[in-house]
This record gives sequence, structure tokens and C-alpha cells, in this order.
Amino acid sequence: MKRVSRLALTAGVVVFVLCFGGAARADDLAAVRARGILIWGADQEGGGPYVYMDPDDPTKLVGYEVDLAEAVAAQLGVRAQFSQGQWDKLPDLLRTQKIDIVINGYELDESRADAMEASKPYYVYALQLLARKGEALDWTSLAQRADPKRRVGVLRGSAADTYSAKRLGDAVEIVGYDGNTVSMREVETHKLDATVQDTPIAAFYAPSFPGLEPRGDPVAPGYYVIYARKGERALVAEIDRAVARLLASGELERLYRKYGLWNEQQRALAELHGVTLAPPGAEPTPGSEPAPIVAGPRKRGWAIFRDYGGILVQSAGMTVLLSVVSFPIAIALGLLIAVGRLYGPRSLRPLLVGYVELIRGTPLMLQLFFIFFFLPEIGIRPSAMVTAICGLAINYSAYESEIFRAGLQAVPHGQTEAALALGMSRWSAIVHVVIPQAIRVVIPPVVNDLVALLKDTSVCSVITIMELTKRYSVLSMSTQATVELTFLTALLYLAMSVPLSIAARKLEARLDPKRARA
Amino acid sequence: MIEIEGLRKRHGQREVLKGVGLSVSAGEVAVLIGASGSGKTTLLRCINGLEEFDEGTLTVGKLIMRGGQRPTSTELAALRRAAGMVFQGFHLFPHLTALDNLTLAPQSVLREPRESAEERARALLDRVGLGGRERSFPHALSGGEQQRVAIARALLMRPLVLLLDEPTSALDPRNASEVLAILQELAEEGQTMVVATHAMTFAKSAATTVHVMSDGAMIEKGTPAEVFEDPKHEATRRILRADE
Repeated sequence: MKRVSRLALTAGVVVFVLCFGGAARADDLAAVRARGILIWGADQEGGGPYVYMDPDDPTKLVGYEVDLAEAVAAQLGVRAQFSQGQWDKLPDLLRTQKIDIVINGYELDESRADAMEASKPYYVYALQLLARKGEALDWTSLAQRADPKRRVGVLRGSAADTYSAKRLGDAVEIVGYDGNTVSMREVETHKLDATVQDTPIAAFYAPSFPGLEPRGDPVAPGYYVIYARKGERALVAEIDRAVARLLASGELERLYRKYGLWNEQQRALAELHGVTLAPPGAEPTPGSEPAPIVAGPRKRGWAIFRDYGGILVQSAGMTVLLSVVSFPIAIALGLLIAVGRLYGPRSLRPLLVGYVELIRGTPLMLQLFFIFFFLPEIGIRPSAMVTAICGLAINYSAYESEIFRAGLQAVPHGQTEAALALGMSRWSAIVHVVIPQAIRVVIPPVVNDLVALLKDTSVCSVITIMELTKRYSVLSMSTQATVELTFLTALLYLAMSVPLSIAARKLEARLDPKRARA
Repeated sequence: MIEIEGLRKRHGQREVLKGVGLSVSAGEVAVLIGASGSGKTTLLRCINGLEEFDEGTLTVGKLIMRGGQRPTSTELAALRRAAGMVFQGFHLFPHLTALDNLTLAPQSVLREPRESAEERARALLDRVGLGGRERSFPHALSGGEQQRVAIARALLMRPLVLLLDEPTSALDPRNASEVLAILQELAEEGQTMVVATHAMTFAKSAATTVHVMSDGAMIEKGTPAEVFEDPKHEATRRILRADE
């Protein structure tokens, strides 16, 4: 489960990491012990069996990494606390001290081990080829070119991606996806011919995709490790000791068996940790232990609405909260900028033009990253919520200022002159005569932007905010009920935006003197 | 009340006021006549401070402005309070009722309490024949009514002199005569006014002095009888013929 950061995501952050990455670190182990809490980061959108939403209780997180984090924390004498983060941003959360460790199917990888402190492996994974039942496809036949080219789906930038490209070369078309299970669904619906998955995913989701089956033995084994901040050797050593104890006591095996993840390959862990596993004789006889936890058959239809409607509505609340707090700030800032540009001191104008161009010309996501991941480098640590609200307000202030500028300019010059001729100051002419008339003009475009902002709040998921769209992604990843959830989520967005449009039309009518009673 | 000497103003290369002089005593009604583009509007805008001038002096009450000097905001505010302005296009504030159009400036400039401003505003609206229309928005008023609101709006600031820039040019004859009737009454009450107009009948009956402008200069002045019965200047005769 390795994914390279996309160019756009890294651009804003990497440069600053290079500049400020070497800042002094506190002793995390001592900090964790003092706090009594070990904060571990993962992305629940990654899905099962790692960290995922309990399909029976959407407020609960489950997964073997949840159990592992809790077991390790218990060994350290502290409590584990989960922190949601976008998968490829977890190293940034770690670096900016928002989390203590990353446990999320992160591979042992040279470049990562350079940037972070890696623990010893806690799981041995391999790559599994999956294809539709009844179709004779394996690594060998795939390597023979067909016409048209066969299509193989992988997680974009993952080890599966690299391996498949190397092994199959030009013989097939490798299609990269951002989600773990998307390509499994695509094989089932005949859009792909095969997919390559990490063994835990292939095993866990087998019941969800009964039309697929493994082909050949797993290949190209690798290690999942826990990452801590660079230089935190004491914390990592303590984690290694904890995992070794869990391994020796058999607790880790039990934990992995619970999810059907224990296999012969895991015996390599014992050697790596220098411990002896309980003898094979201790293995429970088949049938005496409960069936491993795997993804169930997919829920469909009304059950989805009934089971997940509540939590979606709850996440829609976050969307509303972000919007109603940030938008008034954006409007106020935008108005100030527009007034400053039109009537302010000449020296101020290039500055304001620069602000508008800078903010309008860069993606919201980059701005959020800047606030969330760069400001901590210079000692400012805004929370995710503060970051989201400031980011949205600043981003939209640039757009609102342009709308207000157009609105202010649409008020005839004679209006200002009439006010000035009465002895009013320029400022009170603007405030009492120009702005009230401009506001009426700008209502439709401003409300248009409010609706856009409502949807743009989804970008905040990259800085760990769990709003409607992110919740939708997590849910659809863990339930595979994408059609129902898409419908329900769209309905919720409409339930937020349509009343806004109606309210705007009413406000517009109320402010229009032509429709006021004479 | 108003004393103007040698006023010059340029718009780029073109000289629009070429050394204009004008003297208006308290209680007088000075009427400016002249073809369009002769400089009447620019002269009024200079008196109100909406435009700066390059040379000459302008005295309104005790306030003296000199050409080429940028007036301070205090001077401008004083000048505008002394000289109220009524525009050809009314320029009422469309988002405010007739009453609020009147009371906005007294509240914001004179810091007059709302109640007192409204009381005076109601009396003035009554005075211009608009009692009962206080709550109307400008769009619901006829052109003549709008211009009467604009006159009341300027008067509420108690200016020393009321400047009117072609106040009836945008109105049909019936509406125009309503407005002129109000101006006639104001003149009789002793309100000092400078009116740029093409309404010759009004000029004849209400003016104390008629000033004839042509191509940025004052070419003739006199009582209505002098100017209308016996114009000295060929240009004046042309203007009078055109506006008959």
C-alpha cells in the first residue's frame, strides 16, 4: 500500500521541508508517556483490513492496525488515539507533530526510511494477482501480448504498480487507481481483465467480490513498518520491543488470525525481531476458533440509507459549519479588499491586486497545505478546524472582492457626486450610498460562490477534516455501496444548496426597491 | 454671497472656462443661460467643489478658494455645505425612501439626530408639495416629483446658496412647470440661487440677474429686461432665438 505523493500535493510542502526539515525535535517517547496517549495516524478511506469503519456501527473504527496500535500502546503503558489523515499526507502530519507514529500499511522503503524513523516490520505482505473466475489468466499469459491489450488495475504508485509494470512491460495496459478496491470492482464489471493487490486486501475483500479469484502464489513480498519522526530512536526502539513481546506471546498471531491475515510468511517476523514463536503445535485446530473477520457481502438499497444516513447527515453538519463560519469572513475581507482597491490609498492598491492574483491563482488545496504543514515549521500550529476556516475564508475573499469590485463600479458615478455635493465625506458616500446599492447587484454571484464553497469544503479532507465528501468516500470504500451512497450524498448537498438559492432570491427581492411597497 | 473672479479651467488641452467672473448677492437669483457646452455646468460644479479650477478665485460666504490649489477636505466640506447642488438627472439614492434621501446627509454630515432631521425633512417635503410621499422610493415618483425631492434634499442642509444645473431639462413640460413653480416660490422667499437653465420664461420672471455664457466666457449680463428686450451681443440673440 505505497503511493507516491502527487506533484500538486507535494509542491507546496516539499520545498519547505527541505528548508526547515532539520528543526530540533523533542523526545517523543517521554512526551507520549507524559501525555499517556500515543497518537497514531492512518486513513480510514484506505479501507479494510487495515483501518476501516465498522459496517455495523459507522461510528466505530476497526481493523488489524487498530488492534495493533492498541496492543502496542498497552505495551508502552499508554492509550492509543487514532488521528485521521489523508494517506499520502501522513508523513507531513508526522513531521508537523500532529501525530506520533504512522501505522497504515506503509512499506519499508528506502526513501521513506530516509525521511522518517522506521520500526522493524510488523507484517509481511506480498502481491496477489486476481482475475475473474473461469477465465484463464495468470502472470505468464498476461505477459503475452493480446489484441486489444489486456488491462490490469493497480493502486496508483503502489508496489503492485511498480512490480506489474516491470514484470508485464508493454504487454498490458496498467491502469492506476486511487482507491484500493476500485480496481477489484472494475475487474468484476469487465472494465479490467485483472488486478494486483496486497495480500491483506485480496484476502479481506474476497467475500465482497465473489466473481474474482486469486491466480498463482503471492509474489514480491515486502514489509509493513511503523514510522516515527526522524531521530526518534527511543520511541521506535520501544515500539520494536513491544511488537517483539506481542509476537513472542502469540498475541500478534491471534490478532492477525482474527482478520484471517496470519500465514506462513509471518514466521519471518520472528527472525527479524529475534524471538521464538510458539511451536506450530500450539496452533488451534480448524473450526475451534471463530471465523476471521473479512468484508461481508455488500449491503444494498434501503439498508444503506438506514444504516449510514445518520452518519452522513452528521458529516454534512461539518460541511455546513465550515461554510457558515468561513463565508461571512470571506465576504467581509472581500468587501474590504474591493473598497481598498477602488477608493483606498494608491500605495495600497498593488498590494491588494497582488493578494487577489496570488490567492485566486493558486489551488485551495495548496493554500490549506501551506497553512497546515508550513506554518508549523515557523512555530505557528493552527488546528485543522482553524486551518480549514481560514483557508476557505482567504481563498474565497479573493473571489468575493472581484464580485464586490464589479458591484461597486456598477453604481453610477452620479450617486457618489450627489452624496459628495451634499457635503458627505467620500467614506460615508461609499458606506451609505455606494455599498448598499452594490450589495443588491452582487447577491446572485455571491450566493453562487457560497454554493461553490459548500462543495469546496470537501477539499478540507486533505487536512484531516471529516466532512460529507470524505465520509462518503470512507463509507463507499468500506461498504462498496457506491451507487446508493452517491445518491444519498448528492441529496444531502442539494438539501444544503437549494434552500440557500431560495433564500437568496427572497433577499434579492426584499432589497429591490422596485418591488418594495411604495 | 458668491464672488468669482478670473476663473479658468482646462480639460486637457481644451480651456472650458476662460476667465469667468460672477457676482451674486444674498437673496439674488442668478440665471445662467448659454448653449450646451458653453461652460454653465462646469462653473456650477466648480462652485460646489465637484471640480477644481486652475486659476482665479472663488468666494462663497467667508470661504475663499484659489485656482491651482488643491482644497483640503475640510475646505471642500465647508464649500459643499455652503453651496447645495441640484442635478439635471436628480441623482436621488434609489435604495432610500424620499424621507431617507433627505435625512441621510444631515445625519451623517451634521450629526443631527434622526428625529430632528426627519421633522425638518417632513416639513420640507410638504413645502415642495410632496406631503404624504415620504415613504415612496424614487422609482415610484414622477420626474418632477423626484426633482422636487432633490431640491428639498439640498435645502435640508441649509445652504447659503442653491446651485441648480438645468433642473428641468430632463422633464416634460408639465413636470417642468411644477419644479419651476417651486423655484419661483423659493426665489420670492429670498433663497439665493444660481440656476443654469434653458427655461426663458422662468428666467424672465424669477431672475435678478441674467448671465449669458458662450464658449467658456461670460459675454453679457443684466436684468431680465435688459438681456431679453435688448440683447447687446449677437451670440445672446442666437441663444434667445434657439431657446424661444
